[in-house]
Formats: sequence, structure tokens, C-alpha cells
Amino acid sequence: MPRVNTFKVKVQTGPQGMSEPVHFNFNNHKLPFENATGSAEPGEVFEGSFDVNSFAHSLTLVGPESGKWEIEKITIEYDCENEKPYTVHFGAITLDETTEVNIWQDPPILAFDV
Amino acid sequence: MNFIKRFFTGMKQDVEPEAPVMVEEVEKSIEVPEPEPETEPETETNFPAVRSVLQIPAISTGVFPKDSAEVLIKAQPSTTGDQCLFTVNRPLMKGYSWYFPDFESAVESSLAEALFCLDDVETVLVCESTVTVTRKDKTLVDWVPLAKEVGPAIRNALGTGEGLIAEKIVSNLPSEEEIREGIQKVIDTEVNPGVAGHGGNISLLAIKGNSVTIQMGGGCQGCSAADLTLKQGIHTSFRKAVPRVGAIFDETDHTAGLNPYFS
Repeated sequence: MPRVNTFKVKVQTGPQGMSEPVHFNFNNHKLPFENATGSAEPGEVFEGSFDVNSFAHSLTLVGPESGKWEIEKITIEYDCENEKPYTVHFGAITLDETTEVNIWQDPPILAFDV
Repeated sequence: MNFIKRFFTGMKQDVEPEAPVMVEEVEKSIEVPEPEPETEPETETNFPAVRSVLQIPAISTGVFPKDSAEVLIKAQPSTTGDQCLFTVNRPLMKGYSWYFPDFESAVESSLAEALFCLDDVETVLVCESTVTVTRKDKTLVDWVPLAKEVGPAIRNALGTGEGLIAEKIVSNLPSEEEIREGIQKVIDTEVNPGVAGHGGNISLLAIKGNSVTIQMGGGCQGCSAADLTLKQGIHTSFRKAVPRVGAIFDETDHTAGLNPYFS
């Protein structure tokens, strides 16, 4: 469980979007993104980041308060302490007022060519 | 009540002159209780909605460049350092897996023979296009020196053109039904009664070829000793009862839930 310095999120919304601000849940604390650009409207791309500086136990992208949010693709760039920056891609998922999606992924295990 | 009031007043006066006032206040509040303001019943909207956390697999990018003529091998030591996974960019045992517990079991299997010739190799598991190696010296966690020997050994075995896996193994591979029956029997009669004492349970998720995928539930899910239970308990029981079982995968998400072990 590494200490996360910052993370950046890029979310591609599908045919059904939402007009609400995008929130994430870090260790059960619901927060809005910093440096947010774009939106979660249909077909739009939302980008946001957050300077966490804390240890990650859980990190989720929170669904809308009402309606559905069809996500086509999520890309997250993690910058963790003592780790090389790494990027994780997730596929399509639909969120609503009862759901959130896990976007935390541990740093990749060291692999080398032999 | 007045007697009690005087009694307490008399006792407290030596120490704390303000005490009688306090008693008076208490007495008043008992005799004439103020009517509590009516509060509106709390509605569900006062509480944050409890959301369920969905899990989606991360999209993996290819380990190797496509259509490479060269034999490429990537070594990936486990987080616990007890084993190392070698991924090769070509199939080693299509659709099946085989566990070689010692040098004797590797006879006529050129790949396993080559690996057991290395000093520190203890066991070898060949599965599809991967080889998992455990080492004899459990005190060493740096896999780089041994991995640098394993890589060329795999490459040489592939280059010889001989059967990587012995013919007697390939021709006698068990059916999925045979593996399923055997493993389910071990789970029901041996494994689950054992882990039930800790509130755990093991379920058989899938069989592919002779490879088995299980899931750990109850107290086992998220338990810090789950890896030990899996490798020293479940693996041993499975291999003893069903010797021709190959790879054993654990699909448990040990990080799911807020506090899985104690919930």
C-alpha cells in the first residue's frame, strides 16, 4: 500500500452522461477533483487530478446522485512515493446513485527481461 | 428529599461552597421536567447513500511486441519473494499445466530437466506460456541472479526442438471432469472442514484443462495468513489427492470490503 502523491483521471463518457460535478472517494472521503477540465456530459471527456499525499486504502469514482453515467473508458496516472509513475486503464461501466467503481490499482510488480 | 438536600449540603459545604446550588438545580430539574421540543423524525435523505463498489478488471497492455521471432522472456518475482514467474512469448504447454515437484519427475521433459540442473531450483510449474519456479534457499529474496540463469535455460530448451514435456505426461493428461471430481472431494472432506474453524471456506470456481481456480471466502478472504493457507495447506492437499492437477490459481480479491477478515 504505497503513499500516493498525486493522481490524474481521464474519463471518456458514453451516450448517457451527467451534469453533476465528478467526485471520487479516497479512503471513504468523498471529494471533488482539482484542476477539473471538460465534463461528464454525453460524449465528453473529463479530466481532473488531486494531490493526495496519503496512503491509499481505497479509491473509487463515485456515480451520479441521480440518473446513470455510462463510462466508456477510464485512464488513471498514479504518482506514488518510491515508485515509478504508472498508468492504469479501465473499460466500460455504468454508474448510478447506488454505485461507485474501484479505480485503485497497486503499482505493477517489478518485471525484467532475462 | 429535603433531608437528602441538607445532608449533601452539609457535607459539601466544607469543601465546595457552590455545591448546594448545583443540588438545587438538579432537584428542580427532577421535579419540573421541561418539556422536550418535538423533533421531526429523521428521514432517509439525512444519511449519505451507501454505495456498492463495482470492480472492473484493468485493461492489460501486451507484455511483448507482437510477432517477434526472438524468444523473449520476462521474469516477475512474486511480492512475497517465494517464487518467480517467467512469461515466454510462445506456448510451452497449450491448454494444460504440469507441476514438477523434483528432479525425478522431470525425466524426459527437457524444459524441466534444464531448470532442475540449476543449483537453486526447487520446483517447476509449466502453464501455457509461463514457468513458475520456487527456490531451495528461502532466505534469498533477490531473484535477479537465478532469473538470469533460468531465462537462458528456457531459451536453450526451446531451441533443442525436443519435447518440452515428456510424452508420457502429455498422453495421460486427465479430463476436466476427473480433476473437478477429485478437487471437489478434497475441498468437501479435507480443506473446508479444516478452514471452517477459522470461519473460512474454499470454493471451486473453474477448471481449465488440469488447472484449477479457487476462491477463498469467509474468514479466509482478506486474511493475512491466506497465502500460507493456500500454498502450504490447500496446494499440498490438492496435489496429494489429485496428483495430476496442474496450476492452482486463487481468484480471491483479498482487498475487497472495508474489513473483510473481521466482518
